[in-house]
Amino acid sequence: MIALGLITGLLVAACGSDDASPDAGTPDGSVSSSQATDDATGDSAGGGSETALVIARGMDVNSLDPQRAYCDTCQIFMTAVYETLIGLDVDNTTLVPRLATAWESNADQTEFTFTLDPTATFADGSPVMSADVKFSWERQQGLQGSASYLVGSIASIETPNDATVKVTLTAPNSAFLAQVNAPYLGIVNQELAEAHGATADPETDTAEEWFLSNSAGSGPFTLAAYTAGSELRLARNEAYWGAAPAFPEVLIKETPQAVSQRQQLEQGAVDIAMQLSADVADGLGGDDLVIEQVPSFNYVYLALSPGAVGGEQLSPEVREAIRLALDYEGLIDATVGGAGRAQASPIPNGFAGTDGLAVPAQDLDAAKQLLADAGITELTLDATYPSLNVYGVDFSTAMQKVQTDLQEVGIQLELNPVEIAVWAEQIGADGIPVTMLYFAPDHTDSSQYVQYFGLMEGTQWQGWSKADANPAEAPLLDQAFAAQDATERAALYSQLAEAMIADQIIIPVVNPDLFLASRSNITGVRYSACCNLVLAELGRS
Amino acid sequence: MPLLLLGIATIVFVVSRLTPADPLVSIVGERNLNNPEVVAAAKQRWGLDESLPVQYAQYMKNLMQGDMGTSFTTRKPVFDDLVDRLPATLELTATAMVIGLVFGIGLGVLAARNRNRFIDHIARFFALIGSSLPAFWAGLLLLYVFYARLGWLPGPGRLDPRATAPDEITGFYTVDALLHGDFGGLRAALAHLILPASVLGWGVVGIVSRLVRASLLDEFSMEYVRVARAMGLRERTVVNSHALRNALLPTITIVAFTFAFLLTGAVLTETVFSWPGVGSYAVESSRNLDFPAIIGVTILGGFAFLMTNLVTDVIYAFADPRIRLT
Repeated sequence: MIALGLITGLLVAACGSDDASPDAGTPDGSVSSSQATDDATGDSAGGGSETALVIARGMDVNSLDPQRAYCDTCQIFMTAVYETLIGLDVDNTTLVPRLATAWESNADQTEFTFTLDPTATFADGSPVMSADVKFSWERQQGLQGSASYLVGSIASIETPNDATVKVTLTAPNSAFLAQVNAPYLGIVNQELAEAHGATADPETDTAEEWFLSNSAGSGPFTLAAYTAGSELRLARNEAYWGAAPAFPEVLIKETPQAVSQRQQLEQGAVDIAMQLSADVADGLGGDDLVIEQVPSFNYVYLALSPGAVGGEQLSPEVREAIRLALDYEGLIDATVGGAGRAQASPIPNGFAGTDGLAVPAQDLDAAKQLLADAGITELTLDATYPSLNVYGVDFSTAMQKVQTDLQEVGIQLELNPVEIAVWAEQIGADGIPVTMLYFAPDHTDSSQYVQYFGLMEGTQWQGWSKADANPAEAPLLDQAFAAQDATERAALYSQLAEAMIADQIIIPVVNPDLFLASRSNITGVRYSACCNLVLAELGRS
Repeated sequence: MPLLLLGIATIVFVVSRLTPADPLVSIVGERNLNNPEVVAAAKQRWGLDESLPVQYAQYMKNLMQGDMGTSFTTRKPVFDDLVDRLPATLELTATAMVIGLVFGIGLGVLAARNRNRFIDHIARFFALIGSSLPAFWAGLLLLYVFYARLGWLPGPGRLDPRATAPDEITGFYTVDALLHGDFGGLRAALAHLILPASVLGWGVVGIVSRLVRASLLDEFSMEYVRVARAMGLRERTVVNSHALRNALLPTITIVAFTFAFLLTGAVLTETVFSWPGVGSYAVESSRNLDFPAIIGVTILGGFAFLMTNLVTDVIYAFADPRIRLT
């Protein structure tokens, strides 16, 4: 019967493919719904860049308000719609002009002056002025959104003229330019935003809902429509002040499952999928598709909390033993089929300060000796972790491998996968002796890792692990913030990385590669450290 | 009914707030949970800094005025979210019910008329598979075969990713496309319904076919059926015009409640097929501990069941004259 139903349906689908030609796009580049079945049968719309670019993604959008947004997809959206003062070159290292043509800082890294490009305009044609920068960053501070830490060090913003922004910080911060490059510090059109309720005061700000269907940026795209759980539709900013992007429209379709992303890519229904896990990406290829495996800066780590209830026995020696007991290559094989790298410190490979750090290796004898010296013959630890699958890494698989490794040295883990909200409640209350989490960078400076993982007063993991502060780290970070020379900063971050390794609170287990899969006629697909995917660079050959 | 819905809202409010979980993680992200300024601002904005009784009083006051609150995750009013997503679910559910009823009744009749023969065994096996096969597995399997391998049917979503939805009149893509005279769009929307509706409808086929079979066999043993057969009426007339009508009475209740269940229970199917309906909204809400959205979906589910009850009573009255007489 169901087969009969399917056959009936197939006839419907077949009938639908008769009357729409492959290039039946509308003048604005969108395609009528009648084309749907053509693509279903494998005929892509094709026809050059004047058709929409379609990306299949599991969207994790928390907001489209530029001062509240904070997610991976938000990075793509913000980069496309709200430009920052400073951009990042394709080498993922060099800062390049964007809305600002020039910038300078004083010797002690407390004052930064930006000169705005006089030709820069918002999508409505109004010029980008210093007042817009001041408004955007002060609103980011005032609303205390998730990315507000990026402007936390700003003491004041002066606008001596329309083209100059002078920022004074509360303390030296050599990372400030990298933070300015973070997509979350994109500039919003003050006049337009204020007209729709945007203020810097959370008590009076009412603009968030307006930002769900409108945008007020200067970027190469504007927000055309957003339907939560369905699609994010961007339209080319026809008044863009820079080089016009190739695609008239970009659609990000909600496709949470990697398998579906692959199927849609193979069928030609989408152009790009970049959340494929190693097993799903396996075997993908052919003349029509390009798949590139690239290193990423994202990673998954094991975290040990000696101050958590039940974690009292996690002395430095025991933590070191756990670090030595892990089979890192086996973990990479088990979680991402070998498509990843080991990582020495909480600062990921490729960031300043990581050159020359020794990659960890398993040493069971040393681990057993450390435990014996510590008088540990039997140890059972609670290992509650969020039930997640992030960057292709299934946390349950990873934790089962960790459990197996630790059994070899006599440590028993009681695995307890829970929803992340439950995990958050538990780690915020009693703490969790052994857990697992992930991290992706917001910008290109190493300081973000120290501020999050370092054992310093007020950092996230000092709070969660309840471990004693490491008195060496805060002064080192202060020195790194005050250093002007990049080599000097790298040396300081290297010391900080060593210090965090010695803390033994954060043990990176896998730094998974990214699989960038696209139709072979799509150009410009690359992984950006700040921005994930830069839509304006994409084209169709 | 309003009192029942308020009772449902109260129970869900209390249960969700007593869950040992922190909704802030979905609002500020796990990376900011130790940032006191960000956490304080988020708590104040979403009213989480108030005591539970104050939060409850505020929520119920707003609910009385038709305000279900704002979703933590979509940042839109929950009522608007539900209105946006309900047509997708109704369209899917209605199609699944049509598939379930047509094939379920047909299979039930066939099985009853061929009791303990090969066809009956096949029907039982088919019903068993439909009732027990996990929807996500069946969905993935059908997608793999008919979309990824054969390319005969479209993939996930209500339309192809490149397609534009018809201008909204009802929110049902099939109906809207028809009203706009866009027959290509109508075919596309129907084509996209086939796989998810088949997965959802298969379960209904299983329930309905077994129920119809059992009821029909009961009816076959009744005197009026024997009389009809003794009078020389054709078997088709006996079954379709007499026995089946009575056999369908108990099916009405099951079908009605299955429909109500599918409205909020098509969770896995909607997830597998990236179907932007109430089911996938419920999943996201639960994962993020999005209190307002969770309560909103529950109220909608409660409303659906209450309405179903009402409609079932009315249909019963039409279907069985004895009920009208009492």
